[in-house]
Amino acid sequence: MSVSHDLAANVNRAALALPGVQQHPKELMPRRMTFAERLYLPLLSGLMVTIKHFFLNIFRIRPRVTIQYPEERRSYSHRYRGHHILTTRPDGSVRCVACFLCATNCPAECIHIEAAEHPDVNIEKYPVVYEIDMLRCVFCGYCVDACPEEAIIMSNNYDMAFFSRSQSIVGKADLMKPFTFDPAKLGYRPYYPEEDAQHAAMRRQAVDLVAAAKAKAAGDRAVAGG
Amino acid sequence: MLLEEPALLARFPAGSVVPQEGPDAPADQPTWVVRREVLLDLCRALRDDPQGRYDLLLDVCGADYPDRDERFEAVYHLYSVPTANRLRLKVPLTESDPKLPSVISVWKGADWFEREAYDMYGFVFEGHPNLRRLLTHEGFQGHPLRKDYDPARRWILTEDKIYRPVLRAPADRPESMFERMTINIGPSHPAMHGTFRFVAMVDGEEIVASEVEIGYLHRCMEKMSETHTWQQVIPYTDRLNYCSSFLNNVAYCRTVEKLLGIEAPPRAVWARTILSEFSRIMDHCVANGSTLVDTGALTNFWYFFQPREEIYGLLEAVCGARLTVSACRIGGLLADLPPDFVQRCERLLEFIPPLIDDVEKLVDKNRIWMDRSVGIAAISGEEAVNWSWTGPCLRASGVAYDVRRAHPYDLYDTVDWEVPVLHGGDVYDRFRLRMLEIRQSLRIIRQLIERGVPAGPFVVDDPHVALPPKDACYNQMESMIYHFKLIMDGIRVPAGETYLMTEGANGELGFYVVSDGSGKPYRLHVRAPCLPIFSTFPTLMRGHSVSDAIATLGGLNVIAGELER
Amino acid sequence: MELQGESWLTTRLDKFADWSRSNSFWPLPFGTACCAIEFMGTVSSHYDMSRFGYEVVRFSPRQSDLMIVAGTITDKMAPVLKRIYDQMPDPKWVVSMGACACSGGFYRAYHVMQGIDEIIPVDVYVPGCPPSPEGLMYGILQIKEKIARDRKALRERAKKAKGKGRDAA
Repeated sequence: MSVSHDLAANVNRAALALPGVQQHPKELMPRRMTFAERLYLPLLSGLMVTIKHFFLNIFRIRPRVTIQYPEERRSYSHRYRGHHILTTRPDGSVRCVACFLCATNCPAECIHIEAAEHPDVNIEKYPVVYEIDMLRCVFCGYCVDACPEEAIIMSNNYDMAFFSRSQSIVGKADLMKPFTFDPAKLGYRPYYPEEDAQHAAMRRQAVDLVAAAKAKAAGDRAVAGG
Repeated sequence: MLLEEPALLARFPAGSVVPQEGPDAPADQPTWVVRREVLLDLCRALRDDPQGRYDLLLDVCGADYPDRDERFEAVYHLYSVPTANRLRLKVPLTESDPKLPSVISVWKGADWFEREAYDMYGFVFEGHPNLRRLLTHEGFQGHPLRKDYDPARRWILTEDKIYRPVLRAPADRPESMFERMTINIGPSHPAMHGTFRFVAMVDGEEIVASEVEIGYLHRCMEKMSETHTWQQVIPYTDRLNYCSSFLNNVAYCRTVEKLLGIEAPPRAVWARTILSEFSRIMDHCVANGSTLVDTGALTNFWYFFQPREEIYGLLEAVCGARLTVSACRIGGLLADLPPDFVQRCERLLEFIPPLIDDVEKLVDKNRIWMDRSVGIAAISGEEAVNWSWTGPCLRASGVAYDVRRAHPYDLYDTVDWEVPVLHGGDVYDRFRLRMLEIRQSLRIIRQLIERGVPAGPFVVDDPHVALPPKDACYNQMESMIYHFKLIMDGIRVPAGETYLMTEGANGELGFYVVSDGSGKPYRLHVRAPCLPIFSTFPTLMRGHSVSDAIATLGGLNVIAGELER
Repeated sequence: MELQGESWLTTRLDKFADWSRSNSFWPLPFGTACCAIEFMGTVSSHYDMSRFGYEVVRFSPRQSDLMIVAGTITDKMAPVLKRIYDQMPDPKWVVSMGACACSGGFYRAYHVMQGIDEIIPVDVYVPGCPPSPEGLMYGILQIKEKIARDRKALRERAKKAKGKGRDAA
C-alpha cells in the first residue's frame, strides 16, 4: 500500500539490529559473584567512600550543602514562582484593568475578580475585588503569561502558611503590598534584569513602529480630509 | 507496507476488519476498524504471523463519541519490536452492549489496561479473569470518562465498602506445615511509596499469592484535560511522573505540535533535549535511591539527592519551579534560556559523575546488596515484552528497545550514545542499567553543550500557537488581539487524532490525543509506562519473600502520579 | 487531690511540655504524590529538618505527633487517612502540605477530595504545588507558634469555664 504514515517514516532501521530486538531472550543471565565479592572484600572500598565523605565534611574541606534556613536562604533565580504581586501605577493605584485574562488562563480557577468603571476616563476598568485563593493556586505562572498589562507578576517569596481556609484567600491589598519595590524579591515575570537591554531595544523599536504607523495614519487622514 | 497484508486480512470475513483510509484516516499510523467478533482471532494472528509480529501491546484505552450510532470505541495500540511497525485497532461498541473479548490470552499486559477501560468507560471484557475497577474506588458509580459524566461528581467511600481481596493459593501447591497468612502492606506504608496496597498470602516467608490494589492517587488527569485548554494541560502533565516532569512536558508538547503540524525552533529543541536528559538522570537517581533506601542503604540516598538538588537548581533557573516545572509550551519553551545556562550545565556535568561513582563503589560489588537483589523478581525478555514492558526494566531483561534509538526525535540521532542492555532481568540489573543510563545521559548532554546554544527564538513565531512577545502585545494592536484570542479560546488544534511516543524515564511515554477542532482536547490518553510494569508485580513476587517485594518495588520505579494519572 | 486553680508549678510544667513538644516533633509523612518528593528534599541534607529536632520521621502513627499530609488525597485514600489520623495519640497536629491536600488544587475532579479538612482538622496549610522545602519548614515552624497560642487560649477557656461553674454554684 502506498499510504505512508509519519511514525513509520521515522524508524531507525539500525536500531532493529540491537541485541534482543529480533529474538527476545528467553534465558536469564544473572550476575555471578566473583571470589572477592563472596568474601565481602569490595566492602572496603565502599567504606573508604563513606570515610572520605566523613572527613571532607567534618573538617569542612568542602563547603557544607545544608542551608541554615531560616537564617540563610537558598538563592533562587529571578524566575521563581512564588507569592503573586499586583503591580501599581506611578500614583500607587493598581495597574490591573480587570480584563479577566488571568482568571481565564488559570488552570486552577483560583482568581476571582470583580470589575468596576475606573474614575479616570483613560482607563476603562479596574478591579474592585481581586482575590487569589492561595491554597488552590498551583503556581504555574499562567496568570503572568496571560496579563497584557504586566499587572500581575510573581515574587520569590515562599514563606506562606495559613491557619485557616478563609485566611488563604488573599485580597487586593495583600497582593499589592509585598515586595513590590524590591527588585531582589521579584520572581517570575515577563522581563528579567539580564535581558533588560535587549528588551529595551525591542520595546523602543515597537514604540517607534507604532509612532510611525500613527503618523502615517494621521498623514492619510490629512490627505483624505484635504 | 507490510501492515496491510491482504493475506492476513483475507482470513477474516469481509467487512470485519477495515483499514481506515482516505483523508480522514489518522496520519500517524495504520488504523484498522475491527468488529469485536474477530478481535481475538485477529490479535492472535497479528502476534503470531511472521508478517505481523506485533508482540507488544502498548495500550488499550477507550473513547466516547456520543453522537455516533456506535458510541464507544476501544482503541488498541500495537507495536512490533522486531519490525518497529505500529498499528492501531479500533473496536466500535454500542452503549447498550459494550462487550468485547479480552485479549489477555494473547498479551498478558492487557490485564490492567482492560480493567482501566472497564473502570473509565464500562467496557465489559469477556474472558478477563478479574474485571474489577482499577482506579476508582468501590463506592464509585458510573464511568467517569464517558462524556455525560460530570467531572466534579464525587462518590464517598465508606469503610464498609473498602475492597478486601480474597487470595487463593495455586491449586498445585502442596499443603505445608505452616498456617497460611494474608498480610496487607500499604497503602500508607513507606515501602509502598505511599500509594499502593499490596496484599500477600504468605506460607512461612514465601509469598504464594498476592494482589495489588492501586488507584489511591487517581487524580482524573484525563478528564481534567478535557475541561482545560491545550496549553492548560501542561501543568497537569507535570504531575504525571513528578520525578521527571520535564519529560512529560516534552512528550505532551511534541504530540500537540505534531497535530498542529509545527516544529519547535532549534533553540527549544536543543534545550528540551538537554533538560530531558537531566530529568532522566534525576528520575533514575530517585528510582535507584529509593531501591537502596528500601533495602536499608540510606547513605546512597543522600548521595543521590545531591545531584537532584543541583538539577533542581538548573530547572528552577530555567522556569521558576523545582519539581513541577511546566517549562515547555506548545511550540517551544515558556521563556528564553537564562544567560548562565551553559555554565550551569557544565558545572553539573562536573558535579554529578563523582557522586555516581561513589554510589557505585558503595554497592556495585557489595555482597550485602547482591544477596538482596541478584535473581530477585527476574523476568525474561520474552515474558517482559508479553507483559508490555518498556524502558529500563525491559532493557535490563535483554531487549534493547529504546524510543530514542528506534524512533529518533529531538536531537538524539545527532549525538553519539549507546543503548545499554543487561541480561539478568532482576533487581540488580535494573539498578545497574539505570546507572549505565545516567552515564549515557551525561554523554548526550556533554556533546550538546559542546555544540553550543543554537541562536534563534525559543518558541515558534506563530501567533495562532504561541503568545506574542510581551512587547508586541503592549504596543501593537494585532498582537494584542492574538494574545486575547489565544487566552480566551485556546489554541485551535485541527481535528484529528494522533499517538506520539517519547522515551520517558521508565519506558515509552505516549500520548494519544483526539482533537475535535475546538480549543480543548476531546480525548487525551496517557500511555503510562509503569502501568503494565506494575501489573506484573504479583506474578513477579510469586515464590519470593515479603522483603524481596520491598526491594523490587523501587527498582520497577512505579510513580503513582503516572500509574494512576 | 485536686489542684486548686493555676499554680505556678502547673503553668511552668505546661510551658515546659509545650517547649519540649514544639522542639521535637515526630513527624508522620503521609506522602502520596509530588509533595512527598519535596518532603524527601526537606529531610535530606540540603535542608535537613533535624536542625529543628524534627528528624525522627516515624511511619507508624502511634509514635508520631505531627502528621504531614503531602500530596493529593483521593476519595479512595480518605478512609485510610482518617484511620491513621485517629490512631495518632493526642496531642497531635496536622500540616497540610501543598495545594492538593489543602483544597484539591486544580483537580476539581470526581475522585479527588477537595481539601483534607473535609475529614480531619488541619492546623497549618502550606500553599504551593509543591511548596519548596523552605516553605514546608516555614509551615512547620508556624505550628510551634500555634502551640504556644493554643495553650493560652486553652487556659483562658478553662478559666472561663471555671468562672461559670462558680457562678452557677
